Amino acid sequence: MESEVDLVTPVEKAISLLSKMDLDVFDVSATYSRSISIGILGRGIKEASSLDDLGIGVRAYKNKGRGVTFSQSLDPADVVTTVGKAVAFAKMAQPDPYFKGIPGSSKAPEVTGLFDDEVRALDLEGAAKFAKAMIDETEGVRAGAMFSGNVSGGYWRSYLMTSTGVSFGEEKTHIGAFLSPTYREGGDVGSSFEYDYAISLGEMDFHKIGKKAAEKAVGQFGSRKVESGILPIIISPDSSGSLCSGLLDAISGESAVKGRTFASNCLGKQVAPEIFGIGDDGTIRGAVESSTYDGEGIPRRPTEVVSEGRILTFLHNSYSAGIAGVETTGHAQRGGYGGYVGAGPTNIRVKPGDSSLDEMVAETKRGILVEQGGFFSNMVSGELSSTIDEGFLIEGGERKHPVKNLMVGGYMLDLYTNIEAVSKEGRELGKGHFFPAIKIGRAKLAGK
Amino acid sequence: MRDLLESYVKKGLGSGASFCEVRFFEERSNNVSVENGVAKTLGSGIVRGVGVRVIVADRWGFASTNVLTQKGFDTALADAIGGSRSIREHGREEARVSEAKPITDTIIHEVKVNPEDVSPEEKIKRVLELDKAAKGYSDRVKDTFVTYRDVLTKVVVCNSFGASVEEITPRTYAYCTVISREGDNKQEGFEFVGNVAGYEIIDGIEPNKFSAKAAERAVKLLSARPPPRGTYPIVVDQRVGGLFVHEAFGHNSEGDLVLGGQSIISDKVGEKIASDLVTIVDDPTKIRHGHFVYDHEGTRAKPHLIVKDGTLVAFLHSLESAAKLGGQPEGSARAQSHHNPPIIRMSNTYFAPGDMSFEETLEGIELGVYLAGSQYGYVETQKGQFTAKAEEGWLIEKGELTEHLRDVAVNGLTLEALKNVTAVGKDFKMDMPGMCGKGNQSMYVDAGSPHVRIESIVVGGRR
Repeated sequence: MESEVDLVTPVEKAISLLSKMDLDVFDVSATYSRSISIGILGRGIKEASSLDDLGIGVRAYKNKGRGVTFSQSLDPADVVTTVGKAVAFAKMAQPDPYFKGIPGSSKAPEVTGLFDDEVRALDLEGAAKFAKAMIDETEGVRAGAMFSGNVSGGYWRSYLMTSTGVSFGEEKTHIGAFLSPTYREGGDVGSSFEYDYAISLGEMDFHKIGKKAAEKAVGQFGSRKVESGILPIIISPDSSGSLCSGLLDAISGESAVKGRTFASNCLGKQVAPEIFGIGDDGTIRGAVESSTYDGEGIPRRPTEVVSEGRILTFLHNSYSAGIAGVETTGHAQRGGYGGYVGAGPTNIRVKPGDSSLDEMVAETKRGILVEQGGFFSNMVSGELSSTIDEGFLIEGGERKHPVKNLMVGGYMLDLYTNIEAVSKEGRELGKGHFFPAIKIGRAKLAGK
Repeated sequence: MRDLLESYVKKGLGSGASFCEVRFFEERSNNVSVENGVAKTLGSGIVRGVGVRVIVADRWGFASTNVLTQKGFDTALADAIGGSRSIREHGREEARVSEAKPITDTIIHEVKVNPEDVSPEEKIKRVLELDKAAKGYSDRVKDTFVTYRDVLTKVVVCNSFGASVEEITPRTYAYCTVISREGDNKQEGFEFVGNVAGYEIIDGIEPNKFSAKAAERAVKLLSARPPPRGTYPIVVDQRVGGLFVHEAFGHNSEGDLVLGGQSIISDKVGEKIASDLVTIVDDPTKIRHGHFVYDHEGTRAKPHLIVKDGTLVAFLHSLESAAKLGGQPEGSARAQSHHNPPIIRMSNTYFAPGDMSFEETLEGIELGVYLAGSQYGYVETQKGQFTAKAEEGWLIEKGELTEHLRDVAVNGLTLEALKNVTAVGKDFKMDMPGMCGKGNQSMYVDAGSPHVRIESIVVGGRR
């Protein structure tokens, strides 16, 4: 089916129609994807599924008013309707005083390694074998689990044209796996999960996912409540991603430059100790979040975002860059064919420190090791009140027991100010992200 | 369309399927977004396609496509059948469904004012009015956002039990978000309406009770304090009570999670799992946001009593979970779109009212926390641990609401919390139209409750 899906003709047809409509600017994107998935539930593999998806999205501006439409059909008649609605909406919308236009064409060296023939050729039978390997590995650690999870893979391509001369196509593959085993023993539960994702099959280790999921789940037996207090927390590489993403989201795009996030006034300011840094790089070969161009056709580039604890730049698309009076940083994100364009990070690289997770634990008299927990704050106020979904009490430099029913509260920026150590080792995700362990010296914990 | 779907059901059976379901899905949406008095975006979208689900040799296969040509249908059917065959060797969970009687029906939910009959210009004018009421509330209001949305969903389900049902459901919404500011202190307030309804619910909005309410909340939160940390008795309002009943308990009652070993109550039917004051119902027949007449397996929906006076009575079922757990399929399987197979979802889930006044639910609390307005929640059903975040709260001191609190979140263990319900109000409301996420699918739901008091809940906080 996919070889027959032509994205270029409907996009060109839409552009041709739009060019006759007396608009300021416009763009059109179309996407086709095919995905397969092996669903795991209960004792093992439960179902096999496949999906063919396509659509076209139109963004039109007239007198700085915006019309955005999409359709899950590339039929010529539907393309005409989708364009017609976008134009009508743009003419009815009111001028956005912040809108300054959309970018023109730029050329960039191609970011390679984003397509894997093995993933492209993967069928459900092959995916089922990987799912079985993952489950077998879990049962090798301990039998008797009930599971939820999946192995999924697929192929995606898109084509974007704008009235300002941008015209490019992209294609990518993806493969991912998630496994959550749950063991029961009397009234006790040991449950956890493990996952990974990549562009290429060669980057995936299904056996490792199954083994690690089982070990983590078994390690959760005997969880206990702990008292409230102010203690150091060590956020493991499995969990520090949410802490880092939370800050990057708060310095991305429109909300950041319009003063609507907790970090809006932090540009150029010291928010963490000098040991802490974050880079963003959408050009890493073979990484899941990489691409040659961003969602508006601006070349991706490496960006030093936080250096020695100081925020050096916000992450911009053309809209937020226009408000800030700077050049876009190439962080426009276009979510498929929906038509809307936001801004956000690509591959997040936290600068490794000189400590290690084991050293951090050994040096902690009493604290909490957070293995899973979403450090998602209120984006406006920066206030945070999150559950430690999986964690361990540390006493005398050792892991004592898993914890439950425990929350951490505070301000996002206070957590950053209180960073005491960053590990040199960490977790690579999607071949692009790097997240180390991070120790926060003081965190407010709510428990029994 | 039905003839076409039915012909592919026959083709599925002819290709070796013991069960075949072909489902057409179409969703048309329109929206108007106003930011700080400017209607800067108008939008619309069409989601449309077909999903095919089969059982071949006791294994499930599913495939979907947006390509509604004969070739697209043929490919989807072949993919679904090929999918089930691909896991013949490694599949461990047998696919089985409960027999259903043939049914042919068409349901079109009527509205008083069809959103399609209201011009975009009129919608813009109305949304600007709502925005103005928020903006004008106070000079501490920094930013205002009002969004209007209407959605028309058409689902046609045909299956090999002889189901051939079509349901067309309109839903209409308005959301208002306000950001207030005083120095570096920024806060947010929300208000929303949404239901299986037409434009009449937008006409019925009183700006001073809707957007001005969001603004009032945002402004008052500027001077609210963080909650105390620790374990306290809590009293929840109707929205947080709805969030609690949905997240903390409801997901645990979904038959697919029970079957999959992912529920903390999987072996507890007939057992006392909650205090006598707790009765929990999921009712898709109520005309609220989670309302439907037929689920996406073609089963007519009925109200489901899940917990009665503290005893677990039943789970929510699909055709599969009913067959495997011995229950009755009563219409709880829905899918986000044609790209997803139906899975078990709550609809309008509620905590049944008791007989206490709000004041009585607070009585005797020396120090506790009152939570109001739901923001979000999640649950780890396999462990029975939940988290719920409220928009705001108040300290309860000696049975009275005192200090205004912000950023209030709570965490609890489901079975402990249900047993620790010690007071249930009579002031029931179902007013939480939202979307519930499960298995990468998002679904229309609603939830309700009276005021409810729960002892010994962990309150996250910053002091």
